[in-house]
Amino acid sequence: MAIPFFEKYRPKKFIELRGQDLALYKVKAFLSSFNPDITKKKAVLLYGPAGTGKTTLALICANETNSELFELNASDLRNRAKLDEVLKPSTLQKSLFNKGKIILVDEVDGVTSTEYGGIAELIALIEKTKFPIIITCNDIWQNKFNLLRSKCEMIPMKELTYQITLDILKNIVKKENKIVSENILKEIAAKSRGDLRAALNDLQSIIDSEVDEATASEVISVREKSQDIFNALKTLFKRRADEEVLSLFESVDMDLDQITLWVEENISKEYRGEELAKAFNALSKADLFKGRIYKQQYWHFLTYQNFFLTAGIAAAKGPKNIPERFTKYNPPSRILKIWMANQRNAKKKSIAIKYAELTHTSKRRAVNDFNIIARIIDNNTIKRMNLSEPEIEFLQEKQQELKESLVVKA
Amino acid sequence: MTEMLSIWTEKYRPNKFEEVFGQDEIVKRVKNLTNSLNIPHMLFAGSAGTGKSTLAIIVAKELFKEYWKENYLELNASDARGIDVIRQEVKNFARTKSLGSVPFKIIFLDEADALTKEAQQALRRTMENYTNTCRFILSCNYSSKIIDPIQSRCVVFRFKLLEFKDIEKVIKRIAENEKLNIEEKGVKALYEGSEGDCRRAINLIQASASISPNITEGIVNILLSNAKPKDIKIVLDYALAGDFEKSREKLLEVMLKESVSGTDIIKAIQKEIWNLSIDAELKVKLTEKTGEVEFRLVEGSDEFIQLESLLASFVLAGLGKKL
Repeated sequence: MAIPFFEKYRPKKFIELRGQDLALYKVKAFLSSFNPDITKKKAVLLYGPAGTGKTTLALICANETNSELFELNASDLRNRAKLDEVLKPSTLQKSLFNKGKIILVDEVDGVTSTEYGGIAELIALIEKTKFPIIITCNDIWQNKFNLLRSKCEMIPMKELTYQITLDILKNIVKKENKIVSENILKEIAAKSRGDLRAALNDLQSIIDSEVDEATASEVISVREKSQDIFNALKTLFKRRADEEVLSLFESVDMDLDQITLWVEENISKEYRGEELAKAFNALSKADLFKGRIYKQQYWHFLTYQNFFLTAGIAAAKGPKNIPERFTKYNPPSRILKIWMANQRNAKKKSIAIKYAELTHTSKRRAVNDFNIIARIIDNNTIKRMNLSEPEIEFLQEKQQELKESLVVKA
Repeated sequence: MTEMLSIWTEKYRPNKFEEVFGQDEIVKRVKNLTNSLNIPHMLFAGSAGTGKSTLAIIVAKELFKEYWKENYLELNASDARGIDVIRQEVKNFARTKSLGSVPFKIIFLDEADALTKEAQQALRRTMENYTNTCRFILSCNYSSKIIDPIQSRCVVFRFKLLEFKDIEKVIKRIAENEKLNIEEKGVKALYEGSEGDCRRAINLIQASASISPNITEGIVNILLSNAKPKDIKIVLDYALAGDFEKSREKLLEVMLKESVSGTDIIKAIQKEIWNLSIDAELKVKLTEKTGEVEFRLVEGSDEFIQLESLLASFVLAGLGKKL
């Protein structure tokens, strides 16, 4: 494949960017009024779904203002030397080429909020910079971005409309001197759901592979097929484990934690005996890697988590297909039960915590040994623990219950 | 003051090095360090109820005498408030000079292994920043969960579980003071129930005493059965009979009803295995599996999933299949 279409036809000028009039207006206003000594928010945050033109807009900004574009990624943010280099006023360059600078932090989604993750560095950079900063992001509403949002000019990028996508596709087909039927183009535009990069990739793959119309239609539909969780589970449990199963959950619109719960809930509906043990062993390993990811922030382990969650579980049934029969999968019920139990146990927990604080005990210990501890908390201790009325009531009920259990046993 | 203390774990908390039982070697070393009036950062590793907080408080009392409360800060890392709050508190505390003749203060950070690796990195820096004015004593259950850079900055002490003779001494002392009559088998039962955790032993004595001043094996066992996760046998029986779904439903119920942790469930399962009516060889295999799952439980993220995988092994064992 030659240059990808989305590179080849990437707009270079403000006027060429389609369907983002509001964003264009705001970005232009930001750039033209930018003054490092006066401007309060020295960064714009372009946010929106994939393929809406966030990076493109940043590139256009640099091009139209004749600025040099400095791109920083998450690890650069943690690199002092690199940051100093970027922040250094480029006087030399300025005199030679009369160029300004724009700093681009592309796909800030990958930056983590932990001590060394870079968000703090990024915010510091925004405070210090003499140059405009452009940040792009898919999902800006995560908690870790709370502070960052308040430091940036927020600019939403919208999904492209069907009409505009179709228009762009037609234009490119013309420029490429190819013929693609109107129906196919419409189908691509509809399936892309506003993601222009995906649309252009589809178009290119159809043009390059020179397929007939029927096949083309199939290519697009396979590519864009989004599965719901029920279909994904069916595939997971009933189909033979092959390479495709690895990407099974990519097209499911749910996060991996949620998917894990669905899988957990339903394994025993399909597998028995040895298969069941193998499948749960795989699920247990997936969870093991998840634990390591959480504790060590080692995201590479995600590959293994996903592997065990998909191939591991699919392979538990051995190299055969399970005959098609209808199985009713249930949504996960455990989280709701845990929540309800937590409501019930909240008082017990708060009493145990107060006891733990008073006596230098670990809280977990205090909760676990609650039935022993409850017996030894007297009125004097209740006062020192500062129990609330409802807590006292709960405790006294529990003490009564414990006393009665003794009578029954004796 | 002591009369006010109606919780015996507080009332009988040792105040001097000599009163700490079961950690002779550690006490000797810590005492020497304390007498030199210049203690290093220390890491106290060991199970609950082996004397970590107690020893930290004794160090503070010995060093600062009547000013110990002003110069001693206790923080708990497992508080959900996070490392930033801890750093802030440390900062406030470390800003003022210590009272008295010792040139530093002591910060005791309990359950330091509850901090994430990143938080521990931050803690490491905090320790370095205030090393002139503060000494840290960190406590944890597992020293392996503390990052190397922190371990290398601390003198590490490993606290042992208390042995029978140590717990026995504690029990006898309390019995005498509280005028209790504890039968010989009762002492044994108290020790076994304590699992080497001195605090648990004392709690058990006090709870028993609240029932009767004559403490028998029977009373102790009733208390213990109250505290143990019940119905584990039912969970396992369902699994062995091949009904995985009933088994896990019951397990969840047991865990949620008394908010029992996964680790405690594992312990109960492990004890129950020997009472099951299955082949000895299978028992060995299942115990091995249980150990593996306990390990994964510590490393993993979702206790219940790990326990379910263990139940699936029990289902397999119930079919007489090889594990």
